Amino acid sequence: MFLQPRQVAEALEARAKYGAEITPLGGGTDIVVVLNRQSTGPRHFLDLSRLENYAAIRRENGCYVAGGGATFAQLGRLEVKALSQAAMTVGGAAIRNAGTIAGNLGTASPAGDGCVALLAIDADIELSHATRGRRVIPIHEYFTGFRRTALVADELITAVRFPADWRTAWYKIGKRGSINISIVCCAIGMSPRGNVRIAFGCVAPTVMRARQAEAIIAKDGLADASIEAAAQSAMKEVAPIDDHRSSASYRRAMCGVLTRRLLRELRQDAPRAAGRAE
Amino acid sequence: MATDSTTWQLRCTVNGRPIEAEVEPDETLLFFLRDKLGLTGTKGSCLEGECGSCTVIVDGRALNSCLVLCPQMQGRRIETIEGLANGDKLHVLQDKFLASGAAQCGYCTPGLIMAAKALLDQNPNPTEQEFFEGMEGNICRCTGYAAICEAIRSAVQQWK
Repeated sequence: MFLQPRQVAEALEARAKYGAEITPLGGGTDIVVVLNRQSTGPRHFLDLSRLENYAAIRRENGCYVAGGGATFAQLGRLEVKALSQAAMTVGGAAIRNAGTIAGNLGTASPAGDGCVALLAIDADIELSHATRGRRVIPIHEYFTGFRRTALVADELITAVRFPADWRTAWYKIGKRGSINISIVCCAIGMSPRGNVRIAFGCVAPTVMRARQAEAIIAKDGLADASIEAAAQSAMKEVAPIDDHRSSASYRRAMCGVLTRRLLRELRQDAPRAAGRAE
Repeated sequence: MATDSTTWQLRCTVNGRPIEAEVEPDETLLFFLRDKLGLTGTKGSCLEGECGSCTVIVDGRALNSCLVLCPQMQGRRIETIEGLANGDKLHVLQDKFLASGAAQCGYCTPGLIMAAKALLDQNPNPTEQEFFEGMEGNICRCTGYAAICEAIRSAVQQWK
């Protein structure tokens, strides 16, 4: 079965009817990789690429609201540095033209670069159901385990909302400049009021935030000593593994390096008011 | 919206030619082009979007045909390497790849040329950064990139 609805309402009805038996398909850049590798992949698809207004990104009250079908090529043009840089390193042009933000969130890989960037700016995820309507989940409650999320099998990810005015920084460590899966990636966001979010990919079963490191910055600001303490804390908070891409100890060390580097970067271009301990 | 039947009636165009075919929902565009249409210029290699050798152009944008399911191509306009030359007259990109010695084993070449065409169709005068952003999804394992970049840059000067 392959369904290709034009309206979001039709797609939600199909999802409510078939649940986990039908796989929502955005650009296919995750799902078709699985199909190419094994014969036991999904057989039934709900193609979301023809839905009206599903790929649009609009500004609303100081926020961006991206439809689930917004591609990395579109996100790469936004002026939210961590997200646009994450989008531009997620793959080559052909991947960026196909891959969508709902797909990145739906796959919920611990290496999901887009997820890390959104985690650092307190994004909200809009999940919709044909009859129960919409619910909005803060992104820090969305990832519930390794490739597990708060999305129920009869819902679709319809939109993602995130602030347009946070200052952000991003760095991805991988083996090449692009088209690579991260070894470690880090996004740090700072709200106009100075709240800091420190997010990592590839160092735990889900993308994650280093909450204790954030608390250190919230308490002591962006002085060298507190940045160093936050970096030390981040290294303790992450739970990386050894795999074919890298070792746990290297990943852990890089979490410290990236925390230090990106916090300094944010401090450097911070307006005087933010980062109180300058 | 389609019915629950297992096959899909695909209608699209490939290199300007209208195509109607019955496809499986999980059949990829790459193997449809190669095995059903006999357009073997498009190459499959990694089958996971890492190498770019299967790059085709769909409605003006580069896509990895190995990661596209055929029904997703309903109503779409697909360009492959076979559509570039006009009879015996090579497309400027093909011409420049030859002149610069930008192909060695040649396996990556169709994908590189299609990625370059998508880039230049959208942006005939790319900056260095835009150039690399457009081409970074394509890997060559034998020629080295200097000759490839030279070929594409010399095509830029004749791009219409």
